[in-house]
Amino acid sequence: MSHNSSAVQSHVAHHFVDSEQQFDAAKFGMWIFLVTEILFFGGLFAAYIIYRAWYPDLYTMASTQLDTTMGAINTGVLIFSSLTMALSIWAAQHNDKKKTGIFLLVTIACAFAFMVIKYFEYTHKFHLGIFPGEAYTFTGIDHPKAHIFFSIYYMMTGLHGIHVIIGIGLIFWLWMKNNKGSFNSAYYTPIEIVGLYWHLVDIIWIFLFPLLYLID
Amino acid sequence: MSSGHHALSFKVLISTAIALAVLTVITVAVRSIHIPSPFNIIVAISIAVVKAYLVVMYFMNLRNDSRFNLLSFVFSVLFLLILVGLTMLDTMFRVPIVPGF
Amino acid sequence: MSTSSGINADLGLKLKRFVTPDHPEVNYAQAEKGIKAWLTTVDHKKIGLMYLGAIAFFFFIGGLLALLLRAELWTPAKTFLDADAYNQVFTLHGAIMIFLVLVPSVPAALGNFFLPIMVGAKDVAFPRLNLLSFYIYLAGATFSLYSIVTGAVDTGWTFYTPYSATTGTSVVSMTLGVFILGFSSILTGLNFIVTLHKLRVPGLTWGKLPLFCWSLYATSVIQILATPVLAITLMLLVMERTLKIGIFDPALGGDPVLYQHFFWFYSHPAVYIMILPGFGIISEIIAIFSKRRIFGYWFIALSSMAIALIGFLVWGHHMFVSGQSTLSSIVFSLITFFVGIPTGIKIFNWVATMYKGSISMRTPMWYAMIFLFLFTIGGFTGVTLGTLSVDVHLHDTYYVVAHFHYVMMGGMLIAFLGGLHLWWPKMTGRMYNERWANIAAFLIFTGFNMTFFTQFILGAKGMPRRYYNYIDQFQSLHQFSTVGTWVLALGFTIILIYLLQSLGKKGVIASKNPWNGRSLEWLTTTPPVLENFTYTPVVIHGPYDFHKPIAEFEYGIESHGHGHHDASVHHSNEESVNA
Ligand code: HEM
Ligand SMILES: [Cu+2]
Repeated sequence: MSHNSSAVQSHVAHHFVDSEQQFDAAKFGMWIFLVTEILFFGGLFAAYIIYRAWYPDLYTMASTQLDTTMGAINTGVLIFSSLTMALSIWAAQHNDKKKTGIFLLVTIACAFAFMVIKYFEYTHKFHLGIFPGEAYTFTGIDHPKAHIFFSIYYMMTGLHGIHVIIGIGLIFWLWMKNNKGSFNSAYYTPIEIVGLYWHLVDIIWIFLFPLLYLID
Repeated sequence: MSSGHHALSFKVLISTAIALAVLTVITVAVRSIHIPSPFNIIVAISIAVVKAYLVVMYFMNLRNDSRFNLLSFVFSVLFLLILVGLTMLDTMFRVPIVPGF
Repeated sequence: MSTSSGINADLGLKLKRFVTPDHPEVNYAQAEKGIKAWLTTVDHKKIGLMYLGAIAFFFFIGGLLALLLRAELWTPAKTFLDADAYNQVFTLHGAIMIFLVLVPSVPAALGNFFLPIMVGAKDVAFPRLNLLSFYIYLAGATFSLYSIVTGAVDTGWTFYTPYSATTGTSVVSMTLGVFILGFSSILTGLNFIVTLHKLRVPGLTWGKLPLFCWSLYATSVIQILATPVLAITLMLLVMERTLKIGIFDPALGGDPVLYQHFFWFYSHPAVYIMILPGFGIISEIIAIFSKRRIFGYWFIALSSMAIALIGFLVWGHHMFVSGQSTLSSIVFSLITFFVGIPTGIKIFNWVATMYKGSISMRTPMWYAMIFLFLFTIGGFTGVTLGTLSVDVHLHDTYYVVAHFHYVMMGGMLIAFLGGLHLWWPKMTGRMYNERWANIAAFLIFTGFNMTFFTQFILGAKGMPRRYYNYIDQFQSLHQFSTVGTWVLALGFTIILIYLLQSLGKKGVIASKNPWNGRSLEWLTTTPPVLENFTYTPVVIHGPYDFHKPIAEFEYGIESHGHGHHDASVHHSNEESVNA
């Protein structure tokens, strides 16, 4: 119980007792939000698993159209961005505003690199006529449900991509705040919770990669 | 049980990233050995689970965090498994009503 | 968790007694005035009241649609709506009542207002998110209503594929509306969970939490775990319609039963979103008006959690005739029986609380009695329907319609009315006319049974649901049911009139604790001040310890907030004591 007035700092909202309580609450709130994210993606994972169990051959055939090299590079890019995200918190904990900013920028750069590679993957497929749903015209896969695999592929990677883009916005906002000197070792809650979000985006990709690209 | 401000260690973060990179290389490399069917999925998913575990425990620092944060994470995975599991209780055991449909 | 530690002199808490006056000099509504202050407020009480207003409005719309439906059923053939219009009206009625009224009802309105007060907090953990959730609700509502203008929806509130993927009506705007509403629901749940974990005042251990808070906790857990799956399902449905992705539509190679699984993974737990908060209210009412410590506190608290968790394992009982595998039908039927157990535990505990209590039949208590009667019927018929062989006959008949109206209207809505009558004086500072209130409760009880008990009989005789015509033999039963809706409408109109009247010049001023309750909301002024308390309450006794003198509930410590809005602070008579 710290009721001493020194705990009452400018960033503590009026309904919290102290900074510690506010930090814990924000983090807990973020974890609960991540639960909703996991179940949100979960519906797609469920659809993936059920269709894979129904049509294992379809998955083997269709995944040949996905470029493992690009997928692997993107995995590396996201892992690296997760590292720099965590390092930006580490820098903030050491009151190092400059390094915090640099690490945030590198994270943003990685996120862009990820999206650029995704863009090349998508356009290559569009070129072949591999679209989601009805627009699917590719004839290279001899399976009546081929379009369903790619519908699931586009839904999963598309939703993930939207999360990456939202992440870019959030991390950019952190960068601006950091430039104004908002963060220090006593207060870096926004970096912490955006970081949690960003790591979850990474984790989802960690599963998407083997599920979509690494089917024999 | 304060959850919060645990100083991160530079060394631990870097080692985690290296481990993740190595696991990524392994999971790609394993593919060229052509493990027979159910086992290839099991290997790929196991590696992904280990990777996710590393991210959650070290990058997201859940190992030093409040147990309620851990609990919410565990629950989300558990309920996802319920969704998949109980749905497959249907989809895997259907009897075709119209033969050949 | 710094704020939840038990009361302990070693912590150096210097306890004082704070006797709050009945009425504050400046209450929460007076502290910030004007339309703009309301629309931009982050005060949980005002947000709760805005939700209450919006929910009442949509209840009115949904109710009008119900009157239309019942009027159409006056004659066996077409009375005044054709088949398509009838389909659209029942879809809209169901979607509005479920997504815009019942799901948010108790949590977003009464919960928002009272949960922070009951834990002694100044607000919910994330006040701005709370306001955001209200606007998301309005946005979702706008989308749903937009679908009426653009051709309505005729799928029923469940949006089953393949029909929903192919019908020409505006399914997309309606499902997007429901999708958006889901986020509002998630934010409320998130806020409540964090508030309950992190913002409880000293001494308020989990075992001293009012049962209403426990029920909201369980509800929030469901909202967090289930709503995202509904969101992604509706997203896939929208994609099915726009891109024809072929996951649910059999014409495109998909599986329509998969849609039902995903939908009911949310919607069965969602029926508990629509009843657990009601359970919470009933626990409060029965304890207060029996003046007895609630029987089996932990059983009631934990059975809410048990219902929340088991509720995730039974969704397939909505799909017995959908073509799902026989194995899963059997398993789902079996697990369904287990859901009845924690629910039964609650009923027994409530009855045991009343046993030898000193019961005073004030208006909220009447509603609690009505609840017990109607909900028990609703629950038992649920178990009947959960029986696989019986459901094959009763599925998609009026029996199901009667079942879910008994639990949703006879349960949750009645509990909501009970809660409204319990807390109206606290929220508004005014007392309503209890004689009229009792008359209205009686009319609602009568009208409800006229309307819906009849439907059990109709269903058992084979009247299918969602039809605008029927065979001649059913006419007298249908007409009786329709007359029941008029009685109901009369009851609700009376409620509206006396509640509005109580706010007017002649309204009776309420004291701060009109029912002699013990939980924290009864210890602050009526209406509460802006940040709920002028001090930080410290909880010593449980919320149902009616045998302890009220003075022992009034301890607290000086508040160490940032102290803006000082105008409303410092009118309490302070009296130091040694703890
Ligand atoms: C003891 C607990 C309960 C059991 C065992 C139970 C069981 C069932 C079953 C088996 C059905 C499916 C009937 C059919 O479609 O053939 C059903 C339908 C329904 N139940 Fe319950 N129920 C219970 C409590 C509740 C509660 C508390 C609510 C809501 C507050 C509720 C709301 C509904 C709704 C809305 C439907 C109809 C859905 C539709 O098809 O439109 N039930 N219930
Ligand atoms: Cu159900």
